[in-house]
Amino acid sequence: MTQKNKTMEKNGLSEKLAALFSLKIGNISATLEEPGRKFFCGDSRLMDEDDVADFSAEFLNLITVLLGSKEPFNRESPEFHALEMFFASLSRKILLRGGNVENVVRYTQLLQHTLIGALETDSGIAFSQSRSVLLYFTGVFNELIMAVFRAYLEEKEQALHVQEEALRETATPITEIWDGVLTLPIIGTLDSSRTMLVMEALLNRIAKDHARAVVMDLTGVKNIDSQVSHHLIQIVHAIQLMGSNAIITGIQPEIARALVSLNIDLANITTRASLSDGLKEAFRLMDIHVSRKAEQ
Amino acid sequence: MSAVKPSNKNPQTMKIPGLHLTQIGSGDFLLEPSRGLNIHDRGTLIRSLVARLQHTKTTRLYYDLSEQVIIDPVYYAWLNELARALLTINIKMICIHMQPTAAFALAQFTQEPPTFGTALNISGWRKAGDRGQHDQRRPG
Repeated sequence: MTQKNKTMEKNGLSEKLAALFSLKIGNISATLEEPGRKFFCGDSRLMDEDDVADFSAEFLNLITVLLGSKEPFNRESPEFHALEMFFASLSRKILLRGGNVENVVRYTQLLQHTLIGALETDSGIAFSQSRSVLLYFTGVFNELIMAVFRAYLEEKEQALHVQEEALRETATPITEIWDGVLTLPIIGTLDSSRTMLVMEALLNRIAKDHARAVVMDLTGVKNIDSQVSHHLIQIVHAIQLMGSNAIITGIQPEIARALVSLNIDLANITTRASLSDGLKEAFRLMDIHVSRKAEQ
Repeated sequence: MSAVKPSNKNPQTMKIPGLHLTQIGSGDFLLEPSRGLNIHDRGTLIRSLVARLQHTKTTRLYYDLSEQVIIDPVYYAWLNELARALLTINIKMICIHMQPTAAFALAQFTQEPPTFGTALNISGWRKAGDRGQHDQRRPG
């Protein structure tokens, strides 16, 4: 028995666990490839055989380092952290390739059993009969499954964030149509949260581009309620407070009727029938003259 | 509160605690508030400013809001009161560089147009002429 083994037994470790931590692990990489092949190759085509061989070898290397480390129980050790990172990275890779988290979790569970079996075969020690060895590996692999879930959630959150950004951009297609003139066509339903989104994006854009006129085209808006109409007035008001001019165009008859019945005061708001009229008004405010080139 | 402290080196600048006033052209002044501005003492501040400006043939006062990230009802009341006081001596107050966050917050609680005008910057107001880049009381 090695000195390390003796120290471990003194510390209350079972004989088999002590043997596990002192084990000279042989080349069991080929056996460890089986779970990878089962879940990631074949029909799912998430990885090819070479990929599986590579990451199985990497896993074997990392688990060997952990088992041989000074503190194999320490979940904060760099060796354990490296193993967690490996599973997080594997999880991300599988998710990016269209796999699901269940694949990775089931792979991790099967890998645990395969590893114990392979170590048993390689060393001739009956690790699967040892409660302490099974408990140790269960603890380690549970943490690794947690790492897989964390990576999955991070990936999902990032995807949601990207989708939100894309939605935000499509919901507020602000265009600088002329130096200092912004246009914002609003299409679809305007609800309170979208109106707030529009307001925030528009005000930031005015500050960024030093826009002196903003034309908001409501041609594509079919419905408006009392709350949203008030938000709309707030947008105009905020634009004016920043020192820019707001022009609302394309108010549909239904919207006009709704605004009147809701007693919305448009006295301080510049409105024009169409986007084209709105642009002309913006040019007029900015003293810009657009004319046909005189015929030669 | 000590009121006006004209600078000896440059008569075109003046310091009132929390406010820095600079002449930027014929009849135009720029007012820059600092963090030390105590708007709860607005009576003294307004008296000091009016006293300083009424002998200078000032017609416009640009109030720089670039450092004001949020404008709450108390600050808004100060701006309106100052603008009204200046109007009594025929000075138009124009707020410039209002931050998006401030405009956003302000638009939530104000119903009536403010007494002051607004512009993106000084040149923005000048380009638009005396009716201003956006005179809040101008009908659409």
